[in-house]
Amino acid sequence: MVPVDAGAPRAVRRLRIAGLNKVIFIMASPQDNAGREKAAPPSSRLARLAVAGAVVLVIAGGAVFYLASRKTPQPAPDDAITVTITGKTCDPNELTVPAGRRTFRIVNNSDRTVEWEILDGVMVVEERENIAPGFSSTLTARLDTGTFQITCGLLSNPRGTLTVTPSADAGNAARPALTAFIGPLAEYRVYLALESGALTSATADLAAAVRDGDLARARALYVPARALYRHIEPAAQRFVDLDAAISARADYLEKREADPAFTGFHRLEYGLFAQGDLAGLTPVAERLLADVTTLEERLGALQLPPERMADGARTLLTRWAGSIASEGEERYSGTDIDSLAATLAGAGKVIGLLQPLVAKADPALATETQAKLDAAVARIDGLRGPQGYARLGDVGREDRAAIAASLQALADATGKLNASIGLE
Amino acid sequence: MKKSLLSFAAATTLALGSLTLAAPSAPVLAQAAAAVSPLDLVAPVAEYKIYVTKATQQFVKDTKAFTDAVKAGDVEKAKALFAPTRVSYEQIEPIAELFSDLDAAIDSRADDHEKAEADPGFTGFHRIEYGLWEKNSTAELGPFADKLLADVEELHKRIAGLTFPPEKVVGGAAVLMEEVAATKISGEEDRYSHTDLWDFQGNFDGSRKIFDLFRPLLPKDDGEFVKKVEGNFNRVDVILAKYKEGNGFQSYEKLTDADRNVLAGAVNTLAEDLSTLRGKLGLD
Repeated sequence: MVPVDAGAPRAVRRLRIAGLNKVIFIMASPQDNAGREKAAPPSSRLARLAVAGAVVLVIAGGAVFYLASRKTPQPAPDDAITVTITGKTCDPNELTVPAGRRTFRIVNNSDRTVEWEILDGVMVVEERENIAPGFSSTLTARLDTGTFQITCGLLSNPRGTLTVTPSADAGNAARPALTAFIGPLAEYRVYLALESGALTSATADLAAAVRDGDLARARALYVPARALYRHIEPAAQRFVDLDAAISARADYLEKREADPAFTGFHRLEYGLFAQGDLAGLTPVAERLLADVTTLEERLGALQLPPERMADGARTLLTRWAGSIASEGEERYSGTDIDSLAATLAGAGKVIGLLQPLVAKADPALATETQAKLDAAVARIDGLRGPQGYARLGDVGREDRAAIAASLQALADATGKLNASIGLE
Repeated sequence: MKKSLLSFAAATTLALGSLTLAAPSAPVLAQAAAAVSPLDLVAPVAEYKIYVTKATQQFVKDTKAFTDAVKAGDVEKAKALFAPTRVSYEQIEPIAELFSDLDAAIDSRADDHEKAEADPGFTGFHRIEYGLWEKNSTAELGPFADKLLADVEELHKRIAGLTFPPEKVVGGAAVLMEEVAATKISGEEDRYSHTDLWDFQGNFDGSRKIFDLFRPLLPKDDGEFVKKVEGNFNRVDVILAKYKEGNGFQSYEKLTDADRNVLAGAVNTLAEDLSTLRGKLGLD
């Protein structure tokens, strides 16, 4: 932040290094309106002279001209907000601006090179660095409503406050641009990659236990592998062929458990828990491993439309709300609550990624959704003992009805998210 | 820490202020280029997060070994581990420096503090570097080592939970080059140890990673731009290769003026060129 070579402003020094001594004098011209300007420009006549000199010099220096032609200067707009940094503080130190795209002109009147940052908590919203003493610099930031801190020179200097008030021209408040979904979708893509990788590896362990004829180990490994599928199910259920092969229940098949198309997790569950017999399960486990491996590859290449995130979570929550009060979804093992907890974790990931956008567009809905998610999670947590989650058969009718209601409430709130952020 | 500003940009934009008539086509070009669908950016941003996550894991591991050496009082081993440990941080700096408190704690230089080296707020790598090289001792460095490791572990945690802002990711390619231009060329970053070339390499690797991830999304007719950027990256590689020693680099003081000038030119041009990436990808 502060140059060692205090004798010359940093930019000038580096110019010298770059072997462009000729341009050094242009540095001090007030015409640098793209970023740096001299805080106290000389007379306009002098400036014009400097400009004329600059033109001659630049045209003479072909390389410089070439580079110059690649950059478009944006003059600091008339409504730029000027902040002057003095020895210890900013002037003004308390700023209030309307939300939207705002330009600041930072003038460094201190004797050290400084940076100026807008902070949201510990996160940098926007910053301009290396403003040499006597120079100024402009910074444009798209600001959302809220209270921010501004830094003023040295790290130890007290920070100022930037208050951003709601405004009509904030523009993207209700309907975020498509670019606003890049971050959440990328984060979700990373999550899907990690979780599906873990699923492949957990399924390989499960298949090995089945192959080894180790019933107890296979039963123990069924639950964590199944949970990993639940985590990614909001996206994975899009692949109908794989979803059926990996996760279809016997009810959906003509001959139920005897149907040759009965494969995947539930077929394994049936053998491991209902029959207590590993006979014939090795090919089933191998097939499941092949299918989740294919799933991992497909998820790696999937370009998920943003609206599918909340849609996928809502579909699963609604399904659970319907089944938990009756037969459940893991009927041979009774591990429904484990499975449901994993679904809530996967849905919670999606909701958490969308929440920052929802909070801007519809703060009340963001609060409501979070409350419903917390309530559903709390209800499931209440069924956890030292041995893990209760078996569904041990959960009373009233508790099951209450879980179903909490899931439906969460599904309803989740179902409103897309509309609130302009995805419907 | 972060320090940017292109010497060249300063000169050229300034020159441009007087040259708008001579170069009127720049805004038109910028507009014509933005034809990338935002959803196409999801995959490279995700890839970048995975890259940063791996580098951060490495950084935690290396910092543990480095701080262990400091705490064990092993000056030579600590000196040997200082530069290689920093490389991961330099690679991921566009993301790491988003956390201003940790960036200051981990990587601020004495100049950032009122009382310079004597300031109690001067912590992190450069405080330990100061002790190791200036005082040739690990005395009094124990608490700094503990704090550094704790801060690096906290950084790891925060990065894991961070949704990467795409404009910071794409903009990071240029930020890293500005970083080099602002602090590495002058040799002021690692002023006690003169291990700047290691940091250099980290910054270049980080910048090139971003460029490589997003290059396939550039318009087909932007071949000249790609060629120019790659040419400059290669130019830097050739120079850095001359100073390789073992797994690392010679002292920055060995860098000849001629090589320093070539590096400065390439870095400034890269910073300038890569600063157009955001606009080309529709993220301005």
